[in-house]
Amino acid sequence: MRMEEHRGMELADAAGIRYLTPGNSEFMETSGRMLSVRTGGEMHSPVYVHCSFPHTNQRSFLSIRTAGNKEIGMIRHLDDFPQGTASLIERQMKIRYFTPEITKVIAVSEEFGYSYWEVATTAGLCRFTVRNGSGNVKFAAENRLLITDVDGNRFVIPQVDQLSDKEYRMIEMRM
Amino acid sequence: MLDRNGTKAADLVYWMECDRLPDGGFADSYLILSRESLHIFRSSGISKEKTFSGYAAGRHKDTGKLVQDGSVDWAWERIPLERLEALTIVNLVASGMVVAKEQEERVIGAFTSGHMKQAVRFAQAFDKMKKNEPIEAFEQDEEAHGASCPTCGLIYPEEGRPFCPKCMKRHAVFARLLSFAGKYKLSIFFIVLFMLLNSVTGLVIPYFQGTVLFDQALAGNGAFAGRIGLVIVIILAFRTLSLLFGILFGTIIAKLAAKVAFDLKTAVFTALQRLSLDFFMRRQTGHLMTRVNNDAQELQYFFVDGLSYFIVNAMNIIGITAVLLWMDWRLTLICLLPMPLVLWLVRSAFPKLWRLSWRRHRKVSVLNSIISDSVRGSRVVKAFGKEKVEISRFQRSNNAFSVAEQRFNKLSGTVFPILNFLTQAGGILIWAFGGWYVMQGQMSFGTVLTFVNYMMMLYGPIQFMNNIVGWWSNCMAAAQRIFEIQDAVPDVAERPGAVTLPAMKGDIEVDNVTFGYEPNKPILKQVSLRARPGQMIGIVGHSGAGKSTLVNLVSRLYDVTEGEIRIDGVNVKDLSTASLRRHIGIVSQDVYVFSGSIAENIAYADPDCSVEDILHAAKIANAHDFIEKLPDGYDTEVGTGGYSLSGGEKQRLSIARAVLHNPKVLILDEATASLDTETELYIQQALDSLVKGRTTIAIAHRLSTLRQADYLVVMDKGVVVEAGTHEELMATEGIYRELVRKHDEALRMKGEIIA
Repeated sequence: MRMEEHRGMELADAAGIRYLTPGNSEFMETSGRMLSVRTGGEMHSPVYVHCSFPHTNQRSFLSIRTAGNKEIGMIRHLDDFPQGTASLIERQMKIRYFTPEITKVIAVSEEFGYSYWEVATTAGLCRFTVRNGSGNVKFAAENRLLITDVDGNRFVIPQVDQLSDKEYRMIEMRM
Repeated sequence: MLDRNGTKAADLVYWMECDRLPDGGFADSYLILSRESLHIFRSSGISKEKTFSGYAAGRHKDTGKLVQDGSVDWAWERIPLERLEALTIVNLVASGMVVAKEQEERVIGAFTSGHMKQAVRFAQAFDKMKKNEPIEAFEQDEEAHGASCPTCGLIYPEEGRPFCPKCMKRHAVFARLLSFAGKYKLSIFFIVLFMLLNSVTGLVIPYFQGTVLFDQALAGNGAFAGRIGLVIVIILAFRTLSLLFGILFGTIIAKLAAKVAFDLKTAVFTALQRLSLDFFMRRQTGHLMTRVNNDAQELQYFFVDGLSYFIVNAMNIIGITAVLLWMDWRLTLICLLPMPLVLWLVRSAFPKLWRLSWRRHRKVSVLNSIISDSVRGSRVVKAFGKEKVEISRFQRSNNAFSVAEQRFNKLSGTVFPILNFLTQAGGILIWAFGGWYVMQGQMSFGTVLTFVNYMMMLYGPIQFMNNIVGWWSNCMAAAQRIFEIQDAVPDVAERPGAVTLPAMKGDIEVDNVTFGYEPNKPILKQVSLRARPGQMIGIVGHSGAGKSTLVNLVSRLYDVTEGEIRIDGVNVKDLSTASLRRHIGIVSQDVYVFSGSIAENIAYADPDCSVEDILHAAKIANAHDFIEKLPDGYDTEVGTGGYSLSGGEKQRLSIARAVLHNPKVLILDEATASLDTETELYIQQALDSLVKGRTTIAIAHRLSTLRQADYLVVMDKGVVVEAGTHEELMATEGIYRELVRKHDEALRMKGEIIA
């Protein structure tokens, strides 16, 4: 255990990742409703929030980056921040990871290498086309199915095991 | 609506659609760029429905387009252009947004990824207007905005590719396949003819075996009374005839099969070779090989087995049913009694069976990938001592496969015997009712026997028809894939009337070139450089700086997005491919050695060259000595299954290839990157003799290789950041000096380690 800890410290030193905490950084919304952060005496605006684990853990290890993809720092847990700041950051995550969650599979039909999906999602009823094969319908994490349509739009079934038998039958052959 | 707000249509420059809200959900808004200002129209409501491109418009009414709908309120905002500093497109995950900068940045629209191309053009139009550059007249191509099939209204699933899978299904695929078959009309005609003769002669037999043998010969009635020998001879004769016709169509089929497969494979392979590099980069090699092989095989089945058997089986079914009905319509109906039950079983059990088999297939691929992972990665597994983990990983998925296999087998083990029983039940019913008829004297025993025999002959064709749906769709999918390759338009195509340069001076101008493989992800940004005839230009920079991309553009493996590349003053897009390839040679880091002898490999560019040329080229490339040492010399077989060459040897082969090719423009793409220092020295000597008298563009990690370059270009993130001679660059405090410093340091460290 002590060795583990030791190794962890060594890695952290070597990696030199800068962690943002409520103590060393201040997140603000700009007048254009974008995110800015003041840290280490510097102001960065606008900044974008990238999830390290967008499918398995959306609230931990968030990378705050500039438009030029330079990392300002990382947030270990969103919950470390006060409610107001956390929801500011969450809004940015919503903007970046726009992926309607499928709540109900209404119909899936297949024709000549493409499948046509009609689903109810958190963003409303969606109809889209998916090319067969090449990993367009795949598990992004256990039980979490990611669907990419012909234009690259993403849809997700957050819990495949929550689907009804009928719904599962419709999507099973598309995987 | 713009008119109402005082802007004339003539002032419009560009527009784009934004279809999502930053906070989630879909809503339409439009950004319109006019000469003076940027207009933003936002609809007040959130769309409850969204139909993405590709989804057949006919399936549902498209409610996404609310623009003509007067009932929606539109909020209007106008930003004068002088107040706008910049307009950028930000790439998000599977979508994008438009950020406008006034005093501060703000998001003025967000869109799903289908609109990315349009958005990029929109931002480009804005930039051009800002810089007062001329813009092409207001042209919004509808194609980029989801063109749809003129026949059925289906939105094309792929942008810029007018291909409608729905309509293709109806006429095109089948018609095209038949046109392929046109070449073999005669063979197919004979196959069908002999098949028909085969089944007609076959159809006569049950009559003789049943009615004639039992009711006439054995019962002593009619023309054949007591003449059993004659009946047997007749039966034998028909059997022999049937066999003969069978052999005839079998041999024709065998011949045709090979011919069709040959033709199809040639067609696909030829079509593949014509396509641009981009096509190969985007697809996995495995998939392409499958296409050439399996799809051609699939189509071979179509011509050879499918088409002819379909015709014959259809006629058999009609013929036998007619005979049965003519013999006794009541018995025919009785033997059809179990049919509804059979159909019901097939309908209900087969989809489930198919699903289970799909599941099994998926599990087996998982299993296979684990096996291949741990075999190919055995060094890593051993090095980390993770054998046990691998075993348990394998165990888990082996178990999953076993479960799936059992389920499938259980169901198929139940369904097929039941189906068998049900179909045979028809025969049993006939024996029952037929026997009753015989006892009542309404029917002779021979007739019943004939009847049963005919019924048995019906099963085969019916089973064939049962499978035909799956077979049909497999065929059509294969055909579609093959036609797709044939129809694919090469991205980099030779212009009609392209210029052919018999001789090239080697004057290369790269003029303000911007290029990206995907929209809004430029790899090169406004790159310019000039290489005069005979000069050597070195390109340095970190990996990912766009160096290789730049040289790919010079040899026109891809086309520039903006700007121009000129060779001897002619745009490369106007040069014929042949003259480009003739005069430009590439020596790159990854060398591909084809299966064949070393001599053949060297002579790849010019197979007709003399043996002396090959020897000289090898000598210049410093390859001669190692080749002479090999027991088989220049005849050594290399490539798959042959002698394996080391990295340095392969590299020298490729230099020899380039020497023989004798291009006026030479591109060295990290030619020595993967070699050790000593080998590099050999290669460097070889390269030095190669670059003489040619315009050379060299990319190198090791800066030492570039010290004799006439001119160096330093690239960073797709932009030329520094340019000049080695001395000039060393005199300035720039990236190059830093690179040289790091490089020397690395060399020193290496020296220390070795010491």
